[in-house]
Amino acid sequence: MSLKAHLEYYWNVKLLGTTFLRIERLRAERKQRVPKKWRTDILAPPLKISARTKELISRHYLEGRYANGHKPVAWVTSGGPVEILQALGFYVLYPENHGALCGARRYALELSEEAENYGFSQDICSYARTDIGAMLSGKTPVGKLPKPDLLLACTNICQTVLFWYRVLAKHFNVPIILIDTPFVYTEAPEHAIEYVKKQLEASIPIAEKVSGKKLSFKKLKEVVRLSKEASELWLEIMYRGKVKPAPISVFDQFIHMAPIVEMRGKPETVDFYAAMLKEVDERIKKGIGAVKKERKRLLWDNLPIWYRIRFLAEYLGKHGISVVASTYTMAWGELAPLIDPERPIESMAKTYIYPILNRGTGYKLKKMKEMVDEFDLDGAILHSDRSCKPYSIGQVDQRNKLIKDYGIPALLLEADHNDPRAFAEEQVKARLDSFIEMLE
Amino acid sequence: MIKIPGRHEVCEKFKENGGKIAAVLPIHYPRALLRAFDFLPVEVWGPPHVDVSYGGAHLQPYVCSIVHNALSFLKTGGLDETDLIIVPHACDSLQGLGSILIDFVKPRQPVFPFYLPRGKRDEDLNFLMREIKALFENLSKITGKRPDDDTLMMKIEVEELADLKLKELYERRFRDRSQGNGAISNLEFYRIIRSREFLPAEDFIKLADESLEKLNFGGKGIPVIMSGIVPEPMEILDAIGEAGGKVVADDFACCGRRIYPPGNSRDPIERMARAIIDAPPDVTRGSLIEERFEHLKKLVEVTGARGVIFYTVKFCEPELFDLPELRNMLKEVGIPSVHIEVDIGDPLPHQTITRITAFLEVLE
Ligand code: SF4
Ligand code: SF4
Repeated sequence: MSLKAHLEYYWNVKLLGTTFLRIERLRAERKQRVPKKWRTDILAPPLKISARTKELISRHYLEGRYANGHKPVAWVTSGGPVEILQALGFYVLYPENHGALCGARRYALELSEEAENYGFSQDICSYARTDIGAMLSGKTPVGKLPKPDLLLACTNICQTVLFWYRVLAKHFNVPIILIDTPFVYTEAPEHAIEYVKKQLEASIPIAEKVSGKKLSFKKLKEVVRLSKEASELWLEIMYRGKVKPAPISVFDQFIHMAPIVEMRGKPETVDFYAAMLKEVDERIKKGIGAVKKERKRLLWDNLPIWYRIRFLAEYLGKHGISVVASTYTMAWGELAPLIDPERPIESMAKTYIYPILNRGTGYKLKKMKEMVDEFDLDGAILHSDRSCKPYSIGQVDQRNKLIKDYGIPALLLEADHNDPRAFAEEQVKARLDSFIEMLE
Repeated sequence: MIKIPGRHEVCEKFKENGGKIAAVLPIHYPRALLRAFDFLPVEVWGPPHVDVSYGGAHLQPYVCSIVHNALSFLKTGGLDETDLIIVPHACDSLQGLGSILIDFVKPRQPVFPFYLPRGKRDEDLNFLMREIKALFENLSKITGKRPDDDTLMMKIEVEELADLKLKELYERRFRDRSQGNGAISNLEFYRIIRSREFLPAEDFIKLADESLEKLNFGGKGIPVIMSGIVPEPMEILDAIGEAGGKVVADDFACCGRRIYPPGNSRDPIERMARAIIDAPPDVTRGSLIEERFEHLKKLVEVTGARGVIFYTVKFCEPELFDLPELRNMLKEVGIPSVHIEVDIGDPLPHQTITRITAFLEVLE
């Protein structure tokens, strides 16, 4: 850690950046401007909280820009157990979130091509390609990414992250903590949970060494409590989708999920989601629906198509279709009840082995069916995500079973979460059109 | 020429003697444990020539052909003579296949997944031991048997001897530099090596001994190493031979990455777990790129190979992630390489043959 880095951090982040971003946010909140070309005839205006989301994310990346030398930096997978690192004062960056941001800002293709030119195949996960491209070229829409001092890869979303993080470890020449979470085909055996717990315990001295600090269990409990609170609020927000018309759609959830992924364990994240819940409740009181004339309600399965969120929201909204629930966004809330701040390590072991992505294809189908019932939905869109195999394998059977066994209309939509080359617009429209006809 | 019995014949014979057959998907699993329960493990690496439309009824086209073909093979009756299916964990695609089998396809045979840890830490070893014990209990449940430690140890020793023979075959392959006629081809060599995928260890030992005694492992050819998952379609081996290359070693998941070192623990469960943990580097077990590089570099040094052919299966993420850095590192130390990607069900494209020929010309 260096004095120059500390000074730069305080000056640029704490003084200038934070103040500037707050003023920007206040200004945006006052004006409540609806983005150009926003189809207000189809969709409700963006949530007011959007200005705060933007402020939070911008501040997060601004902090990252000046983090090296000021605090230890860890790059972590999106389902990774971040609480120990937060309690040790790490700045935590989620490459997948950065990838999603690049996707949403239509910057992912350029970065992906950087990785492909280096030799990485177009067949590997497009988040990985985006971030490896950023790593190799130094390009990013957020200015600059901090170099990691430590990597934490947790296999509870996929094995891909393990392969990906080994590339990062080689490039940055930094240690990698692996939290291997055995895949739950049906139920996690006791020895698998014990294994995760042992790895969490073993990660502490490594993270302590990198941070130069001793972990305070009091602090860890506090971080875990905040994590739980934020996850519970997020879950509440998603459950509000049960109301008709649904106050927010999954497309709103995709846009506002970044803090629950990358800022878990922080007080500002709890405040943020409390405010978001309040706004959602106001919408409910006023009878505002995310889709103005909600006629049909759908489930979304798998990752968002980041570069076409608005297109999909409008295309479906035009037909009075609101996509109100998603297995993906639910993943960051549904495990909240398992988190126990009084038993941080034990409860983390269970929480982190059970996300939907680490569970069998039959469980995913069961979850989809439950959500269709709970949210009173008319059908499901299963995004068959070309470069996310763990989420997509099983969808063919899931779709067939939804239709045949439960009479739920379901569509398999071929695309990719971050690679626009895998999105054939005309084909997507045609598939959506015939699906919409089926719903009528 | 040495006669290698076919899979079907081997299975029939094993069953005649009261044994049962376990179909095992890639890559690592405790062979000796299965043998102690009188199951013969018969591995399923694809296979290449099946009607893939059956797998396509469950899987998207962007899933690798090993998984596609394995599912198609099962659905077209290819595993009918087996009594059990084991799905070791290696990657997202195999994990998905295991899950689909359990939840949707539901074959007649019981399906047991087997999770492999991604490290070599104490907690990884302990977990793997517990996984092996869990598999023991599952096998016990379906067979009613409970082999004791002595039986397990006996089976382990036979498997270890078979692994030593496998190692010896490889050593003979690169050490025999005799230029005389009559040397076995790449394809013949790999037919012997890959019979370890279905022969009982005792028979493999005999086959290896006979091969070591009678066959000429020398022959002309530019020495090269192959790396990847599996040399399928196996025509690739003849294509390399015809282009003037001799495969002297490999880092294939089905072959070289499973030359398990012999153990010394007296606890059979620990000994089986250690063998897998201490096996040569393998991306699917979480080995670092640096470890894979060191391993390949050493193979090149020991065998005198002049280059490496990375021969991977399309959509195989584990391999694809490593390649750019791995190839760069090899290049930095003067080891040339080429990357060829295939779908194991497709005939060998002419373009592949041209690229191999060009690569070997450079090495010459
Ligand atoms: S493969 Fe899927 S789960 Fe894994 S990092 Fe990529 S998008 Fe995420
Ligand atoms: S070829 Fe690769 S992706 Fe396919 S099953 Fe084997 S390791 Fe997995």
